[in-house]
Amino acid sequence: MAQAQSEREVVVEVRDVTTRFGDRVVHNGISLEVYRGEILAVVGGSGCGKSTLLREIVMLQQPTSGSIRVFGSEVTRQVQSKALDMRRRMGVLFQYGAMFGGLTVLENVGAPIREHTNLSHDLIDEIAAVKIGLTGLDPGTGALYPSQLSGGMRKRAALSRAMALDPELLFLDEPSSGLDPISADALDELVLHLKASLGLTVVMVTHDMDSLWRAADRVILLGEGRILGMGTMEQLANSDDPGVQHFFQGPRARAARLQHA
Amino acid sequence: MAQDNNHKPQVASLRVDDHTIQCSGAWTVMHLHGLERQIHGLHWPAAESIHFDLHDVSGMDTAGAWVLRRSMLQLEQSGRAVTVGGLTPEAETLLELVVDTGAGPGSVVKPPHVGMLEGVGRASAGHMAEHVGLIAFVGEMALAALPLIINPFRGRWRMVLHELAEAGYKAMPIVGLLSFLLGVVIAYQGGVQLRLYGASVFIADLVGISMLRELAPMITAIIIAGRTGSAYTAQIGTMKVTEEVDAMRTMGIEPMDMLVLPKVLGLAIALPLLTIYADIMGVLGGMVMSSAMLGVSPITFTDRLSVAVSITTIMIGIGKAPVFALIVATVGCYQGFLVAGSAESVGRRTTISVVQSILLVIVIDAVFSVLFSKLGI
Repeated sequence: MAQAQSEREVVVEVRDVTTRFGDRVVHNGISLEVYRGEILAVVGGSGCGKSTLLREIVMLQQPTSGSIRVFGSEVTRQVQSKALDMRRRMGVLFQYGAMFGGLTVLENVGAPIREHTNLSHDLIDEIAAVKIGLTGLDPGTGALYPSQLSGGMRKRAALSRAMALDPELLFLDEPSSGLDPISADALDELVLHLKASLGLTVVMVTHDMDSLWRAADRVILLGEGRILGMGTMEQLANSDDPGVQHFFQGPRARAARLQHA
Repeated sequence: MAQDNNHKPQVASLRVDDHTIQCSGAWTVMHLHGLERQIHGLHWPAAESIHFDLHDVSGMDTAGAWVLRRSMLQLEQSGRAVTVGGLTPEAETLLELVVDTGAGPGSVVKPPHVGMLEGVGRASAGHMAEHVGLIAFVGEMALAALPLIINPFRGRWRMVLHELAEAGYKAMPIVGLLSFLLGVVIAYQGGVQLRLYGASVFIADLVGISMLRELAPMITAIIIAGRTGSAYTAQIGTMKVTEEVDAMRTMGIEPMDMLVLPKVLGLAIALPLLTIYADIMGVLGGMVMSSAMLGVSPITFTDRLSVAVSITTIMIGIGKAPVFALIVATVGCYQGFLVAGSAESVGRRTTISVVQSILLVIVIDAVFSVLFSKLGI
């Protein structure tokens, strides 16, 4: 598998990243790659720095040291104009949606398109409506304000916005948290479907064992500031490493595995 | 399907060739601008069946697929048969995906437009409900305060002390500076006029009465409305957005007890004290200016002041302060509870809170003036 991967295009490359908040070491020399067209899941206990790593890759935060390259260019200490170019090629779904409260869903989804292209307002609205439809929402949802949406609808709406500019690289922060199992399943299906048809590369932070089995091509387990395990779900579940076993052998993990066996 | 960024992608375009539409370029969202215009002014061929040839299309994303789908829908509606060829497998799934969403002319839904008449009606009803709500809020507040009168030890006095420090102690620099400057300005402007009549010594009457009776209480209340009233609205409003207020209720803590009463009590104590402080600073400012410009020494000034200003004048000024405090704190808290949903609402409610409390302070001050003159005080 390692040989096969080395031939694939690396979209994100994290090298020896160390992050410290005061005395607390969050990442202690983490290195990983994300290949084009794969769904990479980052897992780990709460507070192990999953979200921080994601924020560092999308240029919202700076690691203390180390290098992160996205599409082949360094994102730490990035110049503003260059960063904008790269941001257009990435979409981020935040854990709580982060929809703009003063805009309707349709306007929210259209916002990045309006900002970065000079298409007509009508076409932008239509494209936004298509994106809303893509995530399985009813067209009527477009007229609602984010505060009027349920949790699952807000996640979907936020996903439509993350995909507004058809990004090559999509980051999902806990996509299924706060969703009922049926919505969570549907969201996994949706991500898989979009990946297959749009050729997306997806990096997701998740706790959801079902998602890991169903959607992830490769899983990275973070803990104690380093990478405890990396590989397909199958490999990790059969790992002898005690740290990995501890995470993947809990009752929930086993139940999820049985379901997908 | 990801576009190759090493080659500069060609701008999307199409060319009508008999009943075939030759499409080319990158049909991606960043390169669609020209294509949209081109389609807008395009005369589609009149042929019965039209074929889209996409062999030369170098890339397609959902936006591009939608533009294609939109044109197809438009043509099909006019009764023509449409076929598509030359799609890469990825583009084909993409187009299917877009077709599957069922997107069409009807899928852009916006909130219903509100006409002018309806807008005026809704705004009026809204204001009405808001003001009735304010009265109800005052009632609720009084009810919540009732147990406190029977048993004062039940109160959250630590929080009151905290509010006292936040709204009172920390406001001292700004209140002091502004009232000092106000005293300076009044002494200066008044002094110029009084000197013409050789009545410079009456500057103490002018500064003393205007500051102590009217200006110090009002300027203090206005500063506090901007500084503290806005903070109350923003704090309670944000807590409402993040459901902290609801969390409090479920824990059996009344937000009225926890959030409102300490603030109201704290401000009702802080504002009179600040007003006394503003009185002192304002008169001091007038005194400094008088001795510097009018040659009225501080001793003469204080001498004259003790004659001109009665204790009633001072008490009237200070007596208004608790009323202003109630207005600012009540309006600030009430507007905070009206926040619904979004960050934008917090901003809007904070603005309303400041504007409304300043307005009410000035109106009530005018009412007091009329009342006192009727009573002959």
